[in-house]
Amino acid sequence: MRLICLFLALVLAALAEAPDFKRDIAPILQAHCAACHSKDAKTSDFSVESLPAVLAGGKKHGKAVIGGHPEQSPLIQMVKGEMAPKMPVGKDLPKAEVARLEAWIRALPEDRDIAKQSYRWPYEKPVKPTPPAVKNASWGINAIDAFILEKLEAKAMKTAPAASKTALARRVYFDLVGLPPTPAEMDRFLSDGSPEAYERLIERLLADQRYGERWARHWLDLVRYGETSGLEGDGAIGNAWRYRDWVIEAFNNDLPYDRFIVQQLAGADEHSKTRNNYQPDVQGHVPLGFLRVAPWDRSNLVADEVRQNYLNEVTTTTSSVFLGLTLGCARCHDHKYDPIPTTDFYRFQAFFNAIQVENVEVPYKDPGLAEKAKAKIKRYESLLKDGPEKIELDKYEAGLLEKLIAARREKAKGKELTVADLRLELRWKDQKTFTEVEKRTHGDLLEDANRTQDPEERKALDAYEAKLLAKMKVAPPGDGRFLALTAEDVKAEAGNRRSSVFTEAERERHAGLSEVLDTYRRRIGRWRPVALTVRNVPGPPSGPNLPPTRVLVRGDYRQPGDAVEAGFPTAIAGKVETPAIEQDRYRQFPTRGWRSTLAKWIASPENPLTARVMVNRLWQYHFGAGIVATTSDFGVNGARPTHPELVDWLAHKFVEDGWSIKSMHRLMLTSATYRQAADNPAADRSADPDNTLLSHFNRRRLEAEELRDGILHVSGRLNPEKGGPSVFPPLPADLADFARYGRGGAAMWETNEKEADARRRSVYTFQRRSMPLPMMASFDAPVFSESCERRSSTVTPLQALNMMNGDMIHQEAAQLARLATERGGADRAKQVEALFELVLNRKPAAEEAARFASHRGSLDGLCRVLLNSNEFLYLD
Amino acid sequence: MNRRQFLFNSYLGLGGLALTDLMAGVKNPLEVKPAHMPVKAKRCIFVFMEGGVSQMDLFEHKPELVKRAGQQMPTAGRTVGEIATFSAAPNRIIPPVAPFRQHGQSGRWMSDLLPHMSKHADRMAFIHGVKVDNNNHGPAVYHVLTGNQFPGSASIGGWITYGLGSENQDLPGFVVLGDRRGATIGGAGVWGNGFLPAAYQGTLFRHGSTPIVDLHRQASMSDEQQRADLDLLKWLNEKHSAARTNTSELEARIAAYELAFRMQSKAPELVDLNTESEATRKLYGLDDPIAEPFGRQCLMARRMVERGVRYVMLLHGAGGDRWDDHGDVAGRIPKHCKEVDQGIGGLLTDLEARGLLEETLVVWASEMGRTPFDNNLVTDKPGRDHNQYGLVVWMAGGNTRGGAAFGGTDEFSVRAAEDEIPMRDVHATILRQMGLSQDRLTVLHAGRYKKLTDTGGRVIEEVLA
Repeated sequence: MRLICLFLALVLAALAEAPDFKRDIAPILQAHCAACHSKDAKTSDFSVESLPAVLAGGKKHGKAVIGGHPEQSPLIQMVKGEMAPKMPVGKDLPKAEVARLEAWIRALPEDRDIAKQSYRWPYEKPVKPTPPAVKNASWGINAIDAFILEKLEAKAMKTAPAASKTALARRVYFDLVGLPPTPAEMDRFLSDGSPEAYERLIERLLADQRYGERWARHWLDLVRYGETSGLEGDGAIGNAWRYRDWVIEAFNNDLPYDRFIVQQLAGADEHSKTRNNYQPDVQGHVPLGFLRVAPWDRSNLVADEVRQNYLNEVTTTTSSVFLGLTLGCARCHDHKYDPIPTTDFYRFQAFFNAIQVENVEVPYKDPGLAEKAKAKIKRYESLLKDGPEKIELDKYEAGLLEKLIAARREKAKGKELTVADLRLELRWKDQKTFTEVEKRTHGDLLEDANRTQDPEERKALDAYEAKLLAKMKVAPPGDGRFLALTAEDVKAEAGNRRSSVFTEAERERHAGLSEVLDTYRRRIGRWRPVALTVRNVPGPPSGPNLPPTRVLVRGDYRQPGDAVEAGFPTAIAGKVETPAIEQDRYRQFPTRGWRSTLAKWIASPENPLTARVMVNRLWQYHFGAGIVATTSDFGVNGARPTHPELVDWLAHKFVEDGWSIKSMHRLMLTSATYRQAADNPAADRSADPDNTLLSHFNRRRLEAEELRDGILHVSGRLNPEKGGPSVFPPLPADLADFARYGRGGAAMWETNEKEADARRRSVYTFQRRSMPLPMMASFDAPVFSESCERRSSTVTPLQALNMMNGDMIHQEAAQLARLATERGGADRAKQVEALFELVLNRKPAAEEAARFASHRGSLDGLCRVLLNSNEFLYLD
Repeated sequence: MNRRQFLFNSYLGLGGLALTDLMAGVKNPLEVKPAHMPVKAKRCIFVFMEGGVSQMDLFEHKPELVKRAGQQMPTAGRTVGEIATFSAAPNRIIPPVAPFRQHGQSGRWMSDLLPHMSKHADRMAFIHGVKVDNNNHGPAVYHVLTGNQFPGSASIGGWITYGLGSENQDLPGFVVLGDRRGATIGGAGVWGNGFLPAAYQGTLFRHGSTPIVDLHRQASMSDEQQRADLDLLKWLNEKHSAARTNTSELEARIAAYELAFRMQSKAPELVDLNTESEATRKLYGLDDPIAEPFGRQCLMARRMVERGVRYVMLLHGAGGDRWDDHGDVAGRIPKHCKEVDQGIGGLLTDLEARGLLEETLVVWASEMGRTPFDNNLVTDKPGRDHNQYGLVVWMAGGNTRGGAAFGGTDEFSVRAAEDEIPMRDVHATILRQMGLSQDRLTVLHAGRYKKLTDTGGRVIEEVLA
């Protein structure tokens, strides 16, 4: 049988190809509307005979289609029954066809004026609604449920029964800490018979330090967190992990979201409260990593372009992450859909205009970490100084140096002297050919020529060298100059792939020994308390004027247009206005107030978008889809909220509760809506095929990190260490040699300081932009180069290969088998029972027990089967 | 609509987006999808030379450079700006490293360094003076291969498999054959899915007998044992699905394991070149140690397209062995040419002989061109600098117009003499031949319908049949 769903992917992302009128739309209209609305019949003067006729509409409602706006198009309103009479008379258009019509209209050229003026919801401050009255008063636990039930009742839909306690526990464990419960944790919950058992579980999990590791990952997706430049050799950008640890800690401490925002945009600009010290707290530099962890084109030599690319990226990401505003679309032209003129993009960007990218030493706050880092650095420094590898390398290089000297001597025999010989002679301490003055003069010229790369300097050097060379040729010295060769020359020669002096084996060995020491050097760098951050160019009074921000014509840095002042988007602020910039007490550092002015405007209860955008994100992470499905785009082109009042209510509640993210978790997780089962036998799925009304829980696959961490967790081998420099889980052997080469020969993937580092949580994995772990990439972990607001969920055979044949699955299955044997003893039936409890948190059913116990094969094999099972990978 | 389909559609909608309904009925992301317009090429082989190939040493015949060899480059106007940034000053003109002569009916000028490729002069259609968005390798590689100089966008192969699916369901639809000396500068990002689902990322085929990561069973595992374990897994999963509604994704995972099981035997067969005749192996230069590595990649590409793989990307150049000839052009360029010339020539010959060339679009490109003048680095062997205005792209097969040439640079090969051709025009042209409309091949991401050609490119009809 030909399989029907090979490579099947369920695309949960907003994925669509724009439909074509002739191919996709005309057949629908022909089938359902042409009887009355043909060229001949033309009821109400409306005909579907052609595209122009459809667009022109009829005499009753004018235009049938408003480009870009299905919700405002009479055609859609009538087929959906939102406008009377419902069409086609007496029947319902199939949902998929309605959706197709809507998608087609959405993709049509925008009827811009209508759109920009009419969709004001995102830009107006929410009014707190009262939860609606519902018929079924017995269902529902908190206000969320009223909003949900009201819409379900309007469609005569029933809610799903409550999920089983086991299913609920697995769901909430993964949701909050990203790991499944252990059998003991599950027992504890199941045996708690009190009515508050579930609430208590939530509290336990919110207090669990693993919570921050799970939720930081969502945030790191949004802020395009990566640890390498992504470009030009993909070198490390510095200690990005300081920012990652700060995010984890912020979630664990329930840092109020308004503070969370301000610190990431202006952390180090906050003025000290004490009168005598207006220096900002240096710790504020760490959260500013937000402004640094994007890809970074560091070897582009066109400074203006690098700077402009940086500012564009920061402007775009800041607005989409915090405001759900696609400001980036207005970089080259006025926004096509939203009321954002190009000038607004650059006015927003002007807040960042004083940024100077820097790395700053920020001492570790945690004394334990500080001690650890100090000890590590000390150890690696001593290893570099006289550790066994260093001694071995020195010894090896000494041997190679002899070989090099002999080879060069041999090669020089009978040859005419060259500039290279001259330079070597000048380096030799025992040379007698040149005077000290000649030596110094040459040194200066050489340095100048190398530094400036200026042809004039080069000419001067060439001329002088010609003169010296002539002198050298008059009375050729012996070949003592080759003694001036050093280990540096050995390194250079060993790095030459076409070396005629060293054999390939010698070069390999040299590279291997050097790599060990290079790794130590990199580790020292990683443990140094340096943070990626930004500072401000001071500007007057302490510095010169800054060039103003200019609108760039078509976004081109070579075409500066009018200068603009910093300001907030007009769609929200209502007008073009230059806000008062915060000043320090002594007005010493005016630029220091720029970003904090913006940050405080974003993090204000008055901002109509900030709270809505965040509660909507939290909703998506718990319920599978946002109330506004396009969580980073609240604009016209994004999805409309399915429950606008609920978003508004939640946004108010969020601010009232002090912007506490944990309070929002409590509210959402304790709702009856969240506690529904994933299957609802009573639901008429055709009435709401997308489950946008939430008549049941959205079953979901584990994310890549949950899967990897979950496997390590059930095998009992997850290393729970917190924080610190990132680690390198082993690459599949098949990839390791591919990864060996990097810019300048440095390894793209390193060895860990200790074996157990390979088994830490995935959030601690080194994020090399050009080398995601294959397992993570195949399970839809984001490419960490652009903000990712929502992950896809695809199914591919490469995932299956990884889960069938990969090293990790085999290793961890063996460990899991060991655990099952510990718990179940030698009896296979008992082992199977233990295994089900460890992996699936339940006992096997009778037929499962029988089938597994009688399966021919190892216990390891049974472990792999369970780790591969849909029940393990999917949360009900 | 049967039950299964209905459930699938329901599940698809889970995301809560009206737009996902467009995917209704699309069960398998790599299932063959109808093209937007007449298909001129069913499959594409993209041959990428990393480092910035010198156009005036291979494909652009500029007698002026011979005439003015060693002279100072005239600085008037056209060499300023980005091109000049790597050099303190424009420097001495370097003549082409080998003579040029004319080939075929078309009289196409090509370097003597390309004896095999030049036999196909009448099959190749050239585009000169293509402009890339950045003058540095990393961003330029991304721009040529993903349409955007910053990482994070979908690669050409991702777009094409997203638009058309794949003809062979037992193999990936988008395969990458890398240079065995190392990774490309953008790493996995240049064959990434970007904002498309993971199903559209390129699959890197490794050299040797394990072409796909984790393709082979662990040594301790027998075929029978694995089959028995998979049968148990299937039984468990089916039981799990039976107790649930909206199970399409669950069923898809069951199917994916069966496919993976089959791939274990199909993929090694694909990479086993021992079944090729001696003549074929010779044709690709497998008997020559210098031509062998890339020749092997080219031969693999033919085997892929023969089996219906939609898009194959060949990468040449890594680390110090890239076409980044800042020094010693006279030594390096002939060597690089020797590495690739026979493989590419052999590929065109072989595709033609097997009747595959007409439906296979072959595209050759690098990430940028180079300057006619020495880049003034302190070395006694002159080299050329980067030139984002001087990229040459050629196409063959796939109903392109063999022997055609479009665009052109000035007499120094610096930049387009008249209108420069943005890279997006080349992308638009590739999509066009594959039967895809650049405006309909879109995905909603971050508030925009993203497309490969960004603001839209012009299909270069001049090089199409």
